[in-house]
Amino acid sequence: MDSSARRMALEFRLSLGLLALVAIAPLAIDNPYWLGVLIVSMYFALLAAGWNLLAGYTGQFSMAPACFAMIGAYTTGLLAYHWKIAPSLGIPASILAAGAIGAILGLIVLRLRGPYLALTTLSFAEIMRLAIGNSYDFTRGDLGLNVPGLFESRLACYYAFVAVLLAAQGGLYLLLRSRAGLFLQAIRDDEVAAASRGVDVVLWKTVAFTLSTAASGLAGAMYAHFSQLVSPELGLLSQTGLVICMVVIGGIGSLIGPLAGALLVYVSSEMLREAGGVQLIVFALLVILIARFFREGLWGLARRSLRKTTA
Amino acid sequence: MGTRAAFTQKDHGVSCLAVSNVSRAFGGLRAVDRVSFDIGRGELVGLIGPNGSGKTTLLNILSGHQPAEAGEVRLGDEAIQGLRPERIAARGLQRMFQLTRVFRRMSALDNLMTAGRALGLAHPGALARAGILLEELALSRVSDLDAGQLSGGQQKLLEFGCCFMSPPRIALLDEPFAAVHPAMKETMARFIRAHHADGQTFLVVSHDMPVIVELCPRTICMNAGAVIADGPTRTVLNERSVIEAYLGGAGAA
Repeated sequence: MDSSARRMALEFRLSLGLLALVAIAPLAIDNPYWLGVLIVSMYFALLAAGWNLLAGYTGQFSMAPACFAMIGAYTTGLLAYHWKIAPSLGIPASILAAGAIGAILGLIVLRLRGPYLALTTLSFAEIMRLAIGNSYDFTRGDLGLNVPGLFESRLACYYAFVAVLLAAQGGLYLLLRSRAGLFLQAIRDDEVAAASRGVDVVLWKTVAFTLSTAASGLAGAMYAHFSQLVSPELGLLSQTGLVICMVVIGGIGSLIGPLAGALLVYVSSEMLREAGGVQLIVFALLVILIARFFREGLWGLARRSLRKTTA
Repeated sequence: MGTRAAFTQKDHGVSCLAVSNVSRAFGGLRAVDRVSFDIGRGELVGLIGPNGSGKTTLLNILSGHQPAEAGEVRLGDEAIQGLRPERIAARGLQRMFQLTRVFRRMSALDNLMTAGRALGLAHPGALARAGILLEELALSRVSDLDAGQLSGGQQKLLEFGCCFMSPPRIALLDEPFAAVHPAMKETMARFIRAHHADGQTFLVVSHDMPVIVELCPRTICMNAGAVIADGPTRTVLNERSVIEAYLGGAGAA
């Protein structure tokens, strides 16, 4: 096995370990509020993992992860609100809807790079949010939609999130270990060179967009049925900002970074809540420091010190 | 070696790459002006010309990175102009860039694996082939390093190797020897000689005349977008128009 496969296997095993910790956490925590905090952390972890596939592995810096969570949430929310369709059908529909819209957005921004891609996806996200917020007759606008819960008990909901996150992480690992992992990273590093080696850039970029937005849609739909309320606030730009903070702080372009980052950032933001509205400032400063001094995030730092102790 | 040589039997009579009347202008500048030539299977051809004579633009047209405005490019018996670069690569035209293009945040081995998998090799086949190429190009020791951490010369060798993960029908090399340490230059030249002897077809762009003389039996010279000479290397280099193109001005010789 070569070094990159070894590295990925290590990251995957660590992320399984972290998920195992999350899975046994309810043994120690019986406060429903903190269970809820962990559920929301897992919602963000799923968003972060999806965004990392697109930004970290494929180099497509989309500013729309929260927007696709909102699309997913509204898909199942509207189906339930207007037509009484159960979550068991609504959630798959959300995955399909978000993935399909993501594929179309991916094709539209195919030739855009860097800031142009970021600005276009940002505009798309804001347009979607405003369109949903202003379609009062259909979506009830800022009032939001009340949707049925996923399970009676919060604990069942918790384990549904653990299971989905586990499946997503496993799927991601299998994808990245296949030739797709090579092709996506090649596109990230140099699109022209990737095409010259025979990589179908259009196809693989579209695949990355589709899978990433489908994961966001799934996260949004799960969150909708957990919180039982769907509103345009899910798609706020600050939510995307939070996702980016999580991935960058945890370690972009790794399997473990987004997961660790989401748990760390969201749980500490809840702890900082009493300090009042300073969380985003703290995280933004952290992101600036990390982007400037250690671009591989906390996971990169951990790996470096790990290497030093074993060497 | 024996079996592959049988498939890629040298036969200069069979066309590998046929370029006819290809043109491309940038505004009023005719960067490539009705260029025609034919490269036979197994040939090793040099492409020379002063800066700005249109060599790289021609290569960009051949590899699909820029469209031609007129003319036809045939690879074997198939017209390839207008196809996307990845389609042309998949058909067996591999290209190396003047400004090195490697996947900087992937290991040297993964760079080669990407090229191999993209051309349809399975994982074990690609891994075996990558191992041979790393050995042949003296990169085995750095195979686990990210390509961005390699020296400039090693990056060139790596990109060069990527072109040969699946033996291409033709390899277009744009200034492969520029700013490369002499030892690595020799590694690359040895590779080209060995694979040429084996039946591999090459088109090599270079400013390095001694290398062209030593490597390429045939040379094409371009100036101001047009082919001004095409023939045995010694003959081409002694042609008056070629000397004038390099030294400038009429009657300079």
